[in-house]
Amino acid sequence: MKGVGLIFKKEWMEFSKDRRTLLFTFVIPLILFPAIFMMMTKMAQGDSVRRRGQASRIVLNDPGGVMKPFLLEETKLFQLVEAPGGDLKQALRDKKFDLAVDVEEDAPGKLRRQEPFAVKAMVDESESASELALKRLKEAMQKQDQVWVQARLEAIRAPKDLPKPTNLIIEKASDLALEMSKLLGMIVPYILLIGLYTNAMQHGVYMTAGEKERHTLLSLLSTPLPRSHVIWGKLLATFSIGVLGTVMNVVGMGLGFLILGQQAVGSEAATAGAAAAPSLSFASLASPATLGLTLLLLIPLGLFFSSIILVLGTQAKNSREAMTAITPGIFVVVMLGVFSMSPGLEKMAALPYVPVLNVALTIRKLFSHEFVAWQYLLAFVMTSGLAAAMAWVSTSILNRESVIFKQ
Amino acid sequence: MIQVTNLHKAFTVKDGKTKAKKRIEAVRGISFQVNPGEIYGLLGPNGAGKSTTLRMIATLMQPDQGTIEVCGLDTQKEGEKVRGRLGYLSTDMNVYERFTPRELLRLFGEFQGVDATIAERRGLYLLDKLQLTDFSDVKMDGLSSGQKQKVSIARALLHDPKVVIFDEPTTGLDVLTAKTVLDLLRVMRSEGRTVIVSTHVMPLVDEICDRVGIIFDGELYGDAPPREILGRYSVRTLDEVFFKLAAGGGR
Ligand SMILES: Nc1ncnc2c1ncn2[C@@H]1O[C@H](COP(=O)(O)OP(=O)(O)OP(=O)(O)O)[C@@H](O)[C@H]1O
Ligand SMILES: [Mg+2]
Repeated sequence: MKGVGLIFKKEWMEFSKDRRTLLFTFVIPLILFPAIFMMMTKMAQGDSVRRRGQASRIVLNDPGGVMKPFLLEETKLFQLVEAPGGDLKQALRDKKFDLAVDVEEDAPGKLRRQEPFAVKAMVDESESASELALKRLKEAMQKQDQVWVQARLEAIRAPKDLPKPTNLIIEKASDLALEMSKLLGMIVPYILLIGLYTNAMQHGVYMTAGEKERHTLLSLLSTPLPRSHVIWGKLLATFSIGVLGTVMNVVGMGLGFLILGQQAVGSEAATAGAAAAPSLSFASLASPATLGLTLLLLIPLGLFFSSIILVLGTQAKNSREAMTAITPGIFVVVMLGVFSMSPGLEKMAALPYVPVLNVALTIRKLFSHEFVAWQYLLAFVMTSGLAAAMAWVSTSILNRESVIFKQ
Repeated sequence: MIQVTNLHKAFTVKDGKTKAKKRIEAVRGISFQVNPGEIYGLLGPNGAGKSTTLRMIATLMQPDQGTIEVCGLDTQKEGEKVRGRLGYLSTDMNVYERFTPRELLRLFGEFQGVDATIAERRGLYLLDKLQLTDFSDVKMDGLSSGQKQKVSIARALLHDPKVVIFDEPTTGLDVLTAKTVLDLLRVMRSEGRTVIVSTHVMPLVDEICDRVGIIFDGELYGDAPPREILGRYSVRTLDEVFFKLAAGGGR
């Protein structure tokens, strides 16, 4: 067993001498994901946030002057603009203003007679600025309606709650953290599958076909270390680099999600005007148990992938040949990953029995707080079995001299 | 001590054009013995079977037939122990270029079960003999191929092996460096080690080998001190032995 440790140490030493790879494997994902997420939300929100901060431009035709006073009162929400010449509809589509409001000429008379008067609004629904203006108008009118109703009630000395027989109180039950966690559970297996495979690929090939190519393998095999130790050392090194790199990816993702969530919370608070926004922390996204159980599953999955890579890498003459053999695997893994993201996955009855995919399913359930013990165990045992079988194959391959002296 | 008895090894290769499988008998019934304190030279043209024979002794290949004993150990049964007593070097071996010579020597010391500090000290002694001390802390991707070869030599001898197997050790080395390697082999002999060298550079053999075996087409001819071989074929240089063998297709 000492040999395994020595080879493991040697591989890590060699790996750590390459600063650039080190950076790309461990540091970049940590920065990249948050950066991408930040950019995405900035791009998606930037527009609406900016608009929200601006008053809607209204072209108001209000001969009786009923609406004008209360619209003008809300200087932050409305800005009255002159009607541009020409076709009004076209001008609206050209974003010369956001909403055209047309109030009936007899509005003051009808208001006095307690008859409803008509307000026509012209909106361009394909423009969110125009939609926002309409929404604001509706809210403003609702508020004003209440003022007028109260005045009428007062005039007839009726109780002011007369028009409000019910009072709907809404309590939001959706848990932002759980929502985010579920979303994370959908994406995490995908990142794990691809991260494990590609990370293991790069370094596994370097340690196998790469050693043949660089003519170093023979010097290693001419030491007293048993070949099984050599392959296990390499397997564990590939595995650990793969898993660590992947974990960095997931942590980076988690950080990205936090940013995303914080912004969602922030904008919700801004629209609702509420001061107390629910806080979103790393721990609320995934409990230690969820993370622990996910990591535990990564052990057999990582070993399985690593040993596939080692088998293919050992058999190849050089890195190029190894890459040719290993690359198709990326497509398989990506396909599995994409499949594992599909929404109705949990309902497929056979899935807990499908290797690799059952790992994805289990992780997803972990993140949605729907842990099923037997499914987890099955996925774990199945993947461990596959990993052991593949590890055995890779050891027996390194014992073949036709593989070592392939020319 | 090395004892090789009736060694056989064949390869099956695929012909690129006809796709037919072809059997190459690389080694056909070779037997010889090398004693401690002796340098044995394996000579032969390209493809004669020298490297195949040495790889089998070094346990990197398994014979189809025959037995090999190294220090009284059967190579096929006790490979790990045999490798611990062997210093093996061949032309198709290179160094780990991301390491410095010092790092490499420490690491291989550990692989050999030698304490890292002792391995380093012995390695540096060898590097000094090979005039490479100045480069012991230089990352090896910056070394010339001859300098790397020297590090490989130090790597092979680091664990104080009883048996030394060098497959074409002077390939790629200039005359000066080649001489230091030969001097090192002489030291090995004087220390009572068992040494085998393969080569097709004849003067080298003349200079250091106590006995030579000539391999031609997988079979061993000769197995005597160089002078005796010359007498047997009534020629003046070992090169001429080759010409005779090639002309006669063997005998
Ligand atoms: N791994 C292998 N697979 C197939 N054939 C091989 C293999 N190794 C050697 N051979 C064949 O066996 C024969 C002997 O090869 P070997 O390498 O032992 O020759 P050699 O005497 O060392 O030659 P050289 O002086 O060129 O190094 C050659 O015909 C070679 O093609
Ligand atoms: Mg050779």
